[in-house]
Amino acid sequence: MVPPDWSVWDVLWRASIETLQTTIAGTFLGGLFAYPLGILAASNWTPVWIHLPVKGAMAFIRSIPLLILALLFVSAVGLGPFPGVLAIAVHSVGVLGRFVAEEIESTDPRPLLALQGTGASSVQIIQHGLIPQVLPQMVAHLAIRFEMNLRDSTILGLVGAGGLGFYVFLYVKQFQWEKTGVLCLAIVLLVFAGEFVSWQIRKRLL
Amino acid sequence: MTTFPIIQMKDVVVHAEGRDILSIDRLEIAAGERIAFIGNSGSGKTTLMRMLKGYVTPSRGEVSVLGQSLPIPERKSIRRYHRQIGMIHQHFDLIGQETVWQNVYHGRLGYVSFLRSIFCRFTEADIEICMQALREVHLEDKLNRFARTLSGGEQQRVAIARTLAQEPTIFLADEPVSSLDPGLSEDILDLLVSVCDTYHLTLLISLHLPELARRYAERIIAMRGGKIIWDGLPEELSGEMIQEIYGRDRVIRGEGNGRFERTNGVHLTWQQRYQGHPVPGG
Repeated sequence: MVPPDWSVWDVLWRASIETLQTTIAGTFLGGLFAYPLGILAASNWTPVWIHLPVKGAMAFIRSIPLLILALLFVSAVGLGPFPGVLAIAVHSVGVLGRFVAEEIESTDPRPLLALQGTGASSVQIIQHGLIPQVLPQMVAHLAIRFEMNLRDSTILGLVGAGGLGFYVFLYVKQFQWEKTGVLCLAIVLLVFAGEFVSWQIRKRLL
Repeated sequence: MTTFPIIQMKDVVVHAEGRDILSIDRLEIAAGERIAFIGNSGSGKTTLMRMLKGYVTPSRGEVSVLGQSLPIPERKSIRRYHRQIGMIHQHFDLIGQETVWQNVYHGRLGYVSFLRSIFCRFTEADIEICMQALREVHLEDKLNRFARTLSGGEQQRVAIARTLAQEPTIFLADEPVSSLDPGLSEDILDLLVSVCDTYHLTLLISLHLPELARRYAERIIAMRGGKIIWDGLPEELSGEMIQEIYGRDRVIRGEGNGRFERTNGVHLTWQQRYQGHPVPGG
Protein backbone atom coordinates (compact mmCIF):
# COMPACT_ATOMS: atom_id res chain seq x y z
CA MET A 1 0.00 0.00 0.00
CA VAL A 2 3.00 2.24 0.38
CA PRO A 3 3.74 4.59 -1.25
CA PRO A 4 0.16 5.70 -1.94
CA ASP A 5 -0.64 6.33 -5.56
CA TRP A 6 -2.24 9.76 -5.69
CA SER A 7 -3.13 9.44 -9.35
CA VAL A 8 -6.54 8.14 -8.29
CA TRP A 9 -7.40 11.60 -6.95
CA ASP A 10 -9.92 12.22 -9.70
CA VAL A 11 -11.73 8.93 -9.20
CA LEU A 12 -11.54 9.34 -5.46
CA TRP A 13 -13.15 12.76 -5.53
CA ARG A 14 -16.01 11.65 -7.75
CA ALA A 15 -16.63 8.44 -5.78
CA SER A 16 -16.59 10.22 -2.42
CA ILE A 17 -19.15 12.74 -3.61
CA GLU A 18 -21.27 9.88 -4.92
CA THR A 19 -21.09 8.03 -1.61
CA LEU A 20 -22.02 11.18 0.27
CA GLN A 21 -24.94 11.87 -2.06
CA THR A 22 -26.14 8.30 -1.81
CA THR A 23 -26.08 8.51 1.97
CA ILE A 24 -27.86 11.83 2.20
CA ALA A 25 -30.55 10.88 -0.30
CA GLY A 26 -31.04 7.46 1.27
CA THR A 27 -31.20 8.76 4.83
CA PHE A 28 -33.70 11.48 4.03
CA LEU A 29 -35.83 9.24 1.88
CA GLY A 30 -35.83 6.72 4.72
CA GLY A 31 -36.66 9.40 7.27
CA LEU A 32 -39.56 10.60 5.14
CA PHE A 33 -41.21 7.21 5.49
CA ALA A 34 -39.89 6.31 8.94
CA TYR A 35 -41.60 9.16 10.83
CA PRO A 36 -45.20 8.49 9.79
CA LEU A 37 -44.62 4.74 10.04
CA GLY A 38 -43.10 5.28 13.48
CA ILE A 39 -46.32 6.93 14.67
CA LEU A 40 -48.28 3.99 13.28
CA ALA A 41 -45.96 1.60 15.11
CA ALA A 42 -46.35 3.32 18.49
CA SER A 43 -48.51 1.12 20.68
CA ASN A 44 -50.04 4.04 22.56
CA TRP A 45 -51.33 5.71 19.40
CA THR A 46 -52.69 2.98 17.18
CA PRO A 47 -54.76 -0.13 17.84
CA VAL A 48 -52.96 -3.44 18.05
CA TRP A 49 -53.94 -4.54 14.55
CA ILE A 50 -52.05 -1.57 13.15
CA HIS A 51 -48.97 -1.23 15.33
CA LEU A 52 -48.14 -4.92 15.52
CA PRO A 53 -47.95 -5.53 11.74
CA VAL A 54 -46.03 -2.27 11.21
CA LYS A 55 -43.58 -3.18 13.97
CA GLY A 56 -43.26 -6.66 12.49
CA ALA A 57 -42.55 -5.29 9.02
CA MET A 58 -39.86 -3.03 10.45
CA ALA A 59 -38.27 -5.90 12.34
CA PHE A 60 -38.29 -7.93 9.12
CA ILE A 61 -36.56 -5.11 7.23
CA ARG A 62 -33.96 -4.75 9.98
CA SER A 63 -33.18 -8.44 9.79
CA ILE A 64 -32.03 -8.14 6.17
CA PRO A 65 -28.36 -7.09 5.94
CA LEU A 66 -27.81 -3.88 4.00
CA LEU A 67 -25.64 -5.63 1.42
CA ILE A 68 -28.36 -8.14 0.64
CA LEU A 69 -30.86 -5.30 0.27
CA ALA A 70 -28.44 -3.57 -2.10
CA LEU A 71 -28.04 -6.79 -4.10
CA LEU A 72 -31.81 -7.06 -4.41
CA PHE A 73 -32.13 -3.47 -5.62
CA VAL A 74 -29.20 -3.81 -8.03
CA SER A 75 -30.95 -6.72 -9.68
CA ALA A 76 -34.21 -4.79 -9.68
CA VAL A 77 -33.15 -1.38 -10.99
CA GLY A 78 -29.64 -1.94 -12.35
CA LEU A 79 -26.13 -0.85 -11.38
CA GLY A 80 -25.22 2.59 -10.03
CA PRO A 81 -25.93 4.75 -7.00
CA PHE A 82 -29.73 4.55 -7.32
CA PRO A 83 -30.07 1.02 -5.89
CA GLY A 84 -27.72 2.17 -3.12
CA VAL A 85 -30.09 5.01 -2.24
CA LEU A 86 -33.03 2.62 -2.16
CA ALA A 87 -31.19 0.07 -0.03
CA ILE A 88 -30.17 2.70 2.52
CA ALA A 89 -33.66 4.20 2.54
CA VAL A 90 -35.37 0.88 3.18
CA HIS A 91 -32.86 -0.10 5.84
CA SER A 92 -33.28 3.31 7.53
CA VAL A 93 -37.06 2.90 7.62
CA GLY A 94 -36.58 -0.29 9.60
CA VAL A 95 -34.15 1.17 12.09
CA LEU A 96 -35.40 4.76 12.37
CA GLY A 97 -39.04 3.74 12.47
CA ARG A 98 -38.39 1.64 15.51
CA PHE A 99 -36.58 4.49 17.28
CA VAL A 100 -39.42 6.86 16.44
CA ALA A 101 -41.98 4.40 17.77
CA GLU A 102 -40.07 3.87 21.00
CA GLU A 103 -39.59 7.60 21.47
CA ILE A 104 -43.30 8.20 21.01
CA GLU A 105 -44.20 5.37 23.37
CA SER A 106 -42.08 6.92 26.10
CA THR A 107 -43.56 10.43 25.88
CA ASP A 108 -45.56 11.77 28.79
CA PRO A 109 -49.26 11.22 27.94
CA ARG A 110 -50.56 13.84 30.35
CA PRO A 111 -49.76 16.97 28.31
CA LEU A 112 -51.40 15.28 25.33
CA LEU A 113 -54.48 14.57 27.39
CA ALA A 114 -54.49 18.20 28.51
CA LEU A 115 -54.32 19.24 24.88
CA GLN A 116 -57.23 16.98 24.03
CA GLY A 117 -59.02 18.68 26.90
CA THR A 118 -58.79 22.04 25.15
CA GLY A 119 -60.82 20.60 22.28
CA ALA A 120 -57.89 19.87 19.97
CA SER A 121 -58.37 17.25 17.26
CA SER A 122 -56.09 14.23 16.83
CA VAL A 123 -54.07 15.90 14.09
CA GLN A 124 -53.67 19.02 16.23
CA ILE A 125 -52.57 16.92 19.18
CA ILE A 126 -49.89 15.27 17.03
CA GLN A 127 -48.73 18.60 15.61
CA HIS A 128 -48.79 20.72 18.75
CA GLY A 129 -48.32 18.12 21.47
CA LEU A 130 -46.49 15.06 20.24
CA ILE A 131 -44.07 16.45 17.66
CA PRO A 132 -42.64 19.23 19.87
CA GLN A 133 -42.01 16.64 22.58
CA VAL A 134 -40.14 14.19 20.37
CA LEU A 135 -38.59 16.41 17.68
CA PRO A 136 -35.12 16.91 19.24
CA GLN A 137 -34.64 13.18 19.75
CA MET A 138 -36.01 12.50 16.28
CA VAL A 139 -33.46 14.75 14.64
CA ALA A 140 -30.71 13.26 16.81
CA HIS A 141 -31.68 9.78 15.65
CA LEU A 142 -31.62 10.96 12.05
CA ALA A 143 -28.11 12.33 12.58
CA ILE A 144 -26.90 9.03 14.05
CA ARG A 145 -28.54 7.18 11.18
CA PHE A 146 -26.75 9.45 8.71
CA GLU A 147 -23.44 8.71 10.36
CA MET A 148 -24.02 4.95 10.27
CA ASN A 149 -25.40 5.00 6.75
CA LEU A 150 -22.30 6.83 5.58
CA ARG A 151 -20.14 4.08 7.03
CA ASP A 152 -22.32 1.38 5.48
CA SER A 153 -22.59 3.01 2.07
CA THR A 154 -18.81 3.03 1.60
CA ILE A 155 -19.00 -0.72 0.99
CA LEU A 156 -22.18 -0.75 -1.08
CA GLY A 157 -20.00 -0.57 -4.19
CA LEU A 158 -19.03 -4.18 -3.57
CA VAL A 159 -22.33 -5.30 -5.05
CA GLY A 160 -22.37 -2.63 -7.73
CA ALA A 161 -24.38 -0.01 -5.93
CA GLY A 162 -21.95 2.84 -6.57
CA GLY A 163 -19.60 4.94 -4.49
CA LEU A 164 -16.15 4.38 -3.06
CA GLY A 165 -16.63 0.68 -2.44
CA PHE A 166 -16.87 -0.04 -6.13
CA TYR A 167 -13.36 1.32 -6.75
CA VAL A 168 -11.93 -0.34 -3.65
CA PHE A 169 -13.23 -3.63 -4.97
CA LEU A 170 -11.94 -2.84 -8.47
CA TYR A 171 -8.38 -2.03 -7.38
CA VAL A 172 -8.23 -4.97 -4.96
CA LYS A 173 -9.10 -7.30 -7.83
CA GLN A 174 -6.34 -5.73 -9.93
CA PHE A 175 -3.83 -5.95 -7.05
CA GLN A 176 -3.30 -2.16 -7.22
CA TRP A 177 -2.68 -1.84 -3.49
CA GLU A 178 -1.23 1.69 -3.72
CA LYS A 179 -4.52 2.97 -5.09
CA THR A 180 -6.57 0.88 -2.65
CA GLY A 181 -4.65 2.45 0.22
CA VAL A 182 -5.59 5.95 -0.87
CA LEU A 183 -9.25 4.97 -1.13
CA CYS A 184 -9.23 3.35 2.32
CA LEU A 185 -7.76 6.55 3.74
CA ALA A 186 -10.54 8.50 2.05
CA ILE A 187 -13.16 6.20 3.61
CA VAL A 188 -11.70 6.74 7.06
CA LEU A 189 -11.69 10.51 6.59
CA LEU A 190 -15.22 10.54 5.21
CA VAL A 191 -16.57 8.48 8.11
CA PHE A 192 -14.77 10.72 10.57
CA ALA A 193 -16.27 13.80 8.93
CA GLY A 194 -19.72 12.22 9.07
CA GLU A 195 -19.37 11.45 12.75
CA PHE A 196 -18.20 14.98 13.43
CA VAL A 197 -21.22 16.49 11.67
CA SER A 198 -23.62 14.16 13.46
CA TRP A 199 -21.97 14.89 16.82
CA GLN A 200 -22.23 18.63 16.24
CA ILE A 201 -25.93 18.34 15.38
CA ARG A 202 -26.69 16.25 18.43
CA LYS A 203 -24.66 18.50 20.71
CA ARG A 204 -26.79 21.47 19.69
CA LEU A 205 -30.05 19.57 20.07
CA LEU A 206 -29.87 17.67 23.32
CA MET B 1 -75.12 34.85 39.19
CA THR B 2 -78.05 32.59 38.47
CA THR B 3 -79.09 29.52 40.36
CA PHE B 4 -79.78 27.48 37.26
CA PRO B 5 -78.12 24.08 37.76
CA ILE B 6 -75.50 23.53 35.05
CA ILE B 7 -74.35 20.19 36.43
CA GLN B 8 -76.88 17.58 37.48
CA MET B 9 -76.16 14.02 38.55
CA LYS B 10 -78.51 11.28 39.58
CA ASP B 11 -77.55 7.77 40.71
CA VAL B 12 -74.23 7.97 38.91
CA VAL B 13 -71.84 5.04 39.18
CA VAL B 14 -68.38 4.69 37.68
CA HIS B 15 -67.28 1.10 37.78
CA ALA B 16 -63.61 0.21 37.28
CA GLU B 17 -61.20 -2.46 38.47
CA GLY B 18 -64.01 -4.54 39.89
CA ARG B 19 -65.49 -1.89 42.18
CA ASP B 20 -67.48 1.30 42.12
CA ILE B 21 -64.86 4.03 42.24
CA LEU B 22 -67.55 6.67 42.16
CA SER B 23 -71.18 6.48 43.20
CA ILE B 24 -73.17 9.64 43.60
CA ASP B 25 -76.86 9.57 44.43
CA ARG B 26 -77.57 13.17 43.70
CA LEU B 27 -75.56 16.29 43.02
CA GLU B 28 -76.53 19.63 41.60
CA ILE B 29 -74.18 22.49 40.89
CA ALA B 30 -75.42 25.92 39.92
CA ALA B 31 -73.77 28.30 37.51
CA GLY B 32 -71.16 30.52 39.13
CA GLU B 33 -70.64 28.37 42.20
CA ARG B 34 -67.19 27.95 43.74
CA ILE B 35 -66.90 24.47 45.13
CA ALA B 36 -64.02 22.61 46.75
CA PHE B 37 -63.93 18.84 46.77
CA ILE B 38 -61.96 17.40 49.67
CA GLY B 39 -61.05 13.89 50.67
CA ASN B 40 -58.22 11.40 50.60
CA SER B 41 -56.49 10.12 47.51
CA GLY B 42 -58.70 7.53 45.95
CA SER B 43 -61.83 9.10 47.36
CA GLY B 44 -63.18 9.77 43.89
CA LYS B 45 -62.48 13.51 43.56
CA THR B 46 -60.31 13.08 40.50
CA THR B 47 -62.65 10.52 38.95
CA LEU B 48 -65.54 12.92 39.40
CA MET B 49 -63.59 15.70 37.67
CA ARG B 50 -62.45 13.43 34.88
CA MET B 51 -66.02 12.32 34.36
CA LEU B 52 -67.22 15.92 34.13
CA LYS B 53 -64.40 16.59 31.67
CA GLY B 54 -65.55 13.69 29.54
CA TYR B 55 -62.50 11.46 30.03
CA VAL B 56 -64.26 8.89 32.16
CA THR B 57 -67.54 7.38 31.10
CA PRO B 58 -70.21 6.84 33.76
CA SER B 59 -71.23 3.20 33.93
CA ARG B 60 -74.79 3.97 35.00
CA GLY B 61 -76.93 6.91 35.91
CA GLU B 62 -77.68 10.30 34.50
CA VAL B 63 -75.14 13.08 34.20
CA SER B 64 -76.09 16.31 32.57
CA VAL B 65 -73.54 19.08 32.11
CA LEU B 66 -74.49 22.35 30.42
CA GLY B 67 -77.62 20.69 29.09
CA GLN B 68 -75.58 17.92 27.49
CA SER B 69 -75.98 14.42 28.83
CA LEU B 70 -72.87 12.30 29.22
CA PRO B 71 -71.34 10.31 27.61
CA ILE B 72 -71.37 12.29 24.40
CA PRO B 73 -71.88 10.12 21.34
CA GLU B 74 -70.43 11.97 18.34
CA ARG B 75 -66.85 13.04 17.87
CA LYS B 76 -67.67 16.54 16.79
CA SER B 77 -69.71 17.42 19.84
CA ILE B 78 -67.01 15.91 22.07
CA ARG B 79 -64.62 18.58 20.83
CA ARG B 80 -67.17 21.29 21.45
CA TYR B 81 -67.85 19.87 24.90
CA HIS B 82 -64.14 19.69 25.79
CA ARG B 83 -63.81 23.33 24.84
CA GLN B 84 -66.49 24.39 27.31
CA ILE B 85 -64.93 22.57 30.24
CA GLY B 86 -61.49 23.89 31.20
CA MET B 87 -59.24 21.80 33.38
CA ILE B 88 -55.89 22.28 35.08
CA HIS B 89 -53.89 19.52 36.69
CA GLN B 90 -51.52 18.85 39.54
CA HIS B 91 -48.51 18.55 37.23
CA PHE B 92 -49.46 21.49 34.98
CA ASP B 93 -49.22 19.26 31.87
CA LEU B 94 -47.72 21.87 29.58
CA ILE B 95 -45.66 21.08 26.51
CA GLY B 96 -42.27 21.87 28.06
CA GLN B 97 -40.47 22.15 24.74
CA GLU B 98 -42.74 24.93 23.54
CA THR B 99 -42.90 28.55 24.60
CA VAL B 100 -45.36 30.11 27.00
CA TRP B 101 -47.10 31.77 24.07
CA GLN B 102 -47.47 28.49 22.15
CA ASN B 103 -48.81 26.75 25.23
CA VAL B 104 -51.44 29.42 25.77
CA TYR B 105 -52.31 29.27 22.10
CA HIS B 106 -53.06 25.55 22.52
CA GLY B 107 -56.17 26.68 24.35
CA ARG B 108 -57.49 28.03 21.05
CA LEU B 109 -57.01 24.78 19.14
CA GLY B 110 -60.60 23.71 19.70
CA TYR B 111 -61.75 26.77 17.74
CA VAL B 112 -59.34 27.07 14.84
CA SER B 113 -59.93 25.23 11.60
CA PHE B 114 -57.79 22.32 10.48
CA LEU B 115 -55.81 24.26 7.86
CA ARG B 116 -55.21 27.26 10.07
CA SER B 117 -53.76 25.10 12.81
CA ILE B 118 -51.56 23.17 10.36
CA PHE B 119 -49.95 26.37 9.15
CA CYS B 120 -50.14 28.13 12.55
CA ARG B 121 -52.08 31.05 11.12
CA PHE B 122 -53.49 32.87 14.12
CA THR B 123 -56.34 35.28 13.70
CA GLU B 124 -56.21 38.69 15.35
CA ALA B 125 -59.06 37.67 17.64
CA ASP B 126 -57.23 34.52 18.78
CA ILE B 127 -54.08 36.49 19.52
CA GLU B 128 -56.05 39.05 21.50
CA ILE B 129 -57.76 36.33 23.56
CA CYS B 130 -54.41 34.69 24.33
CA MET B 131 -52.81 38.01 25.25
CA GLN B 132 -55.71 38.82 27.53
CA ALA B 133 -55.36 35.40 29.20
CA LEU B 134 -51.64 36.01 29.71
CA ARG B 135 -52.33 39.43 31.21
CA GLU B 136 -54.79 37.83 33.62
CA VAL B 137 -52.05 35.56 34.98
CA HIS B 138 -49.38 38.30 34.84
CA LEU B 139 -47.07 36.47 32.48
CA GLU B 140 -47.16 38.81 29.48
CA ASP B 141 -43.42 39.48 29.90
CA LYS B 142 -42.48 35.80 29.64
CA LEU B 143 -44.09 35.06 26.27
CA ASN B 144 -41.03 33.54 24.65
CA ARG B 145 -39.65 31.54 27.56
CA PHE B 146 -39.79 27.77 27.16
CA ALA B 147 -42.41 26.34 29.46
CA ARG B 148 -40.02 23.84 31.06
CA THR B 149 -37.71 26.65 32.20
CA LEU B 150 -40.43 28.23 34.35
CA SER B 151 -40.98 27.58 38.04
CA GLY B 152 -43.87 25.42 39.20
CA GLY B 153 -46.06 28.37 40.10
CA GLU B 154 -45.43 30.04 36.76
CA GLN B 155 -46.18 26.81 34.91
CA GLN B 156 -49.49 26.51 36.70
CA ARG B 157 -50.25 30.13 35.72
CA VAL B 158 -49.52 29.26 32.09
CA ALA B 159 -51.90 26.31 32.44
CA ILE B 160 -54.55 28.67 33.81
CA ALA B 161 -53.97 31.04 30.88
CA ARG B 162 -54.28 28.14 28.43
CA THR B 163 -57.57 27.17 30.02
CA LEU B 164 -58.83 30.76 29.91
CA ALA B 165 -57.89 30.93 26.23
CA GLN B 166 -60.33 28.12 25.53
CA GLU B 167 -63.10 30.34 26.95
CA PRO B 168 -64.69 27.69 29.16
CA THR B 169 -67.90 27.85 31.11
CA ILE B 170 -66.80 25.47 33.84
CA PHE B 171 -63.28 25.55 35.31
CA LEU B 172 -62.08 22.29 36.85
CA ALA B 173 -58.92 22.38 38.93
CA ASP B 174 -57.70 18.91 39.86
CA GLU B 175 -55.40 19.37 42.84
CA PRO B 176 -53.93 22.51 41.30
CA VAL B 177 -51.60 23.24 44.20
CA SER B 178 -50.52 19.79 45.36
CA SER B 179 -47.07 20.11 43.86
CA LEU B 180 -46.49 23.71 44.92
CA ASP B 181 -45.10 25.38 48.05
CA PRO B 182 -47.69 26.62 50.55
CA GLY B 183 -47.07 30.30 49.73
CA LEU B 184 -47.37 29.69 46.01
CA SER B 185 -50.50 27.61 46.57
CA GLU B 186 -52.27 30.61 47.99
CA ASP B 187 -51.15 32.80 45.07
CA ILE B 188 -52.49 30.27 42.58
CA LEU B 189 -55.78 29.84 44.42
CA ASP B 190 -56.18 33.62 44.72
CA LEU B 191 -55.59 33.89 41.00
CA LEU B 192 -58.05 31.07 40.21
CA VAL B 193 -60.77 32.65 42.31
CA SER B 194 -60.20 36.08 40.82
CA VAL B 195 -60.24 34.95 37.18
CA CYS B 196 -63.32 32.84 37.75
CA ASP B 197 -65.02 35.87 39.28
CA THR B 198 -63.96 38.06 36.38
CA TYR B 199 -65.28 35.69 33.73
CA HIS B 200 -68.22 34.35 35.78
CA LEU B 201 -66.97 30.78 35.58
CA THR B 202 -68.13 27.91 37.71
CA LEU B 203 -65.07 26.78 39.62
CA LEU B 204 -64.62 23.25 40.93
CA ILE B 205 -61.39 22.63 42.82
CA SER B 206 -60.21 19.43 44.38
CA LEU B 207 -57.92 20.00 47.33
CA HIS B 208 -56.07 17.89 49.82
CA LEU B 209 -56.06 20.47 52.56
CA PRO B 210 -59.38 21.32 54.23
CA GLU B 211 -57.89 24.60 55.49
CA LEU B 212 -57.49 25.86 51.91
CA ALA B 213 -60.96 24.62 50.99
CA ARG B 214 -62.45 26.53 53.91
CA ARG B 215 -60.72 29.71 52.87
CA TYR B 216 -61.38 29.68 49.14
CA ALA B 217 -64.63 27.83 48.53
CA GLU B 218 -68.22 28.91 48.92
CA ARG B 219 -69.35 25.33 49.22
CA ILE B 220 -67.43 22.23 50.27
CA ILE B 221 -68.17 18.71 49.17
CA ALA B 222 -66.34 15.96 51.04
CA MET B 223 -65.85 12.56 49.50
CA ARG B 224 -64.79 9.21 50.79
CA GLY B 225 -64.72 5.86 49.02
CA GLY B 226 -66.33 7.33 45.93
CA LYS B 227 -69.33 8.73 47.82
CA ILE B 228 -70.28 12.21 48.87
CA ILE B 229 -70.32 12.16 52.65
CA TRP B 230 -70.73 15.83 53.35
CA ASP B 231 -71.98 18.83 51.42
CA GLY B 232 -72.28 22.25 52.95
CA LEU B 233 -70.96 25.70 53.64
CA PRO B 234 -67.32 26.16 54.70
CA GLU B 235 -68.20 27.60 58.09
CA GLU B 236 -70.27 24.52 58.90
CA LEU B 237 -67.36 22.14 58.40
CA SER B 238 -66.42 21.05 61.90
CA GLY B 239 -63.21 19.50 63.18
CA GLU B 240 -64.93 16.17 63.87
CA MET B 241 -66.25 16.12 60.33
CA ILE B 242 -62.74 16.59 58.97
CA GLN B 243 -61.60 13.69 61.14
CA GLU B 244 -64.33 11.55 59.68
CA ILE B 245 -63.58 12.63 56.11
CA TYR B 246 -59.92 11.82 56.27
CA GLY B 247 -60.04 8.97 58.74
CA ARG B 248 -56.90 7.63 60.29
CA ASP B 249 -55.15 6.86 57.01
CA ARG B 250 -54.50 10.51 56.28
CA VAL B 251 -50.85 10.25 57.24
CA ILE B 252 -49.92 7.59 54.71
CA ARG B 253 -50.73 9.56 51.61
CA GLY B 254 -47.71 9.72 49.32
CA GLU B 255 -48.61 13.07 47.85
CA GLY B 256 -46.19 15.51 46.35
CA ASN B 257 -43.92 13.47 44.13
CA GLY B 258 -46.77 12.43 41.87
CA ARG B 259 -45.19 9.10 41.10
CA PHE B 260 -46.83 6.97 43.71
CA GLU B 261 -50.15 7.35 45.34
CA ARG B 262 -51.65 5.02 47.83
CA THR B 263 -55.01 3.87 46.60
CA ASN B 264 -56.54 1.13 48.70
CA GLY B 265 -53.14 -0.06 49.73
CA VAL B 266 -51.88 -0.48 46.18
CA HIS B 267 -49.06 1.60 44.77
CA LEU B 268 -49.80 2.82 41.28
CA THR B 269 -47.43 4.64 38.97
CA TRP B 270 -49.09 7.32 36.93
CA GLN B 271 -48.74 5.19 33.81
CA GLN B 272 -50.87 2.56 35.48
CA ARG B 273 -53.35 5.16 36.58
CA TYR B 274 -53.73 6.35 33.02
CA GLN B 275 -53.87 2.88 31.52
CA GLY B 276 -57.62 2.81 31.58
CA HIS B 277 -57.73 6.14 29.76
CA PRO B 278 -55.30 5.97 26.84
CA VAL B 279 -54.12 9.09 25.06
CA PRO B 280 -56.20 10.28 22.12
CA GLY B 281 -56.07 8.31 18.94
CA GLY B 282 -55.77 5.04 20.81
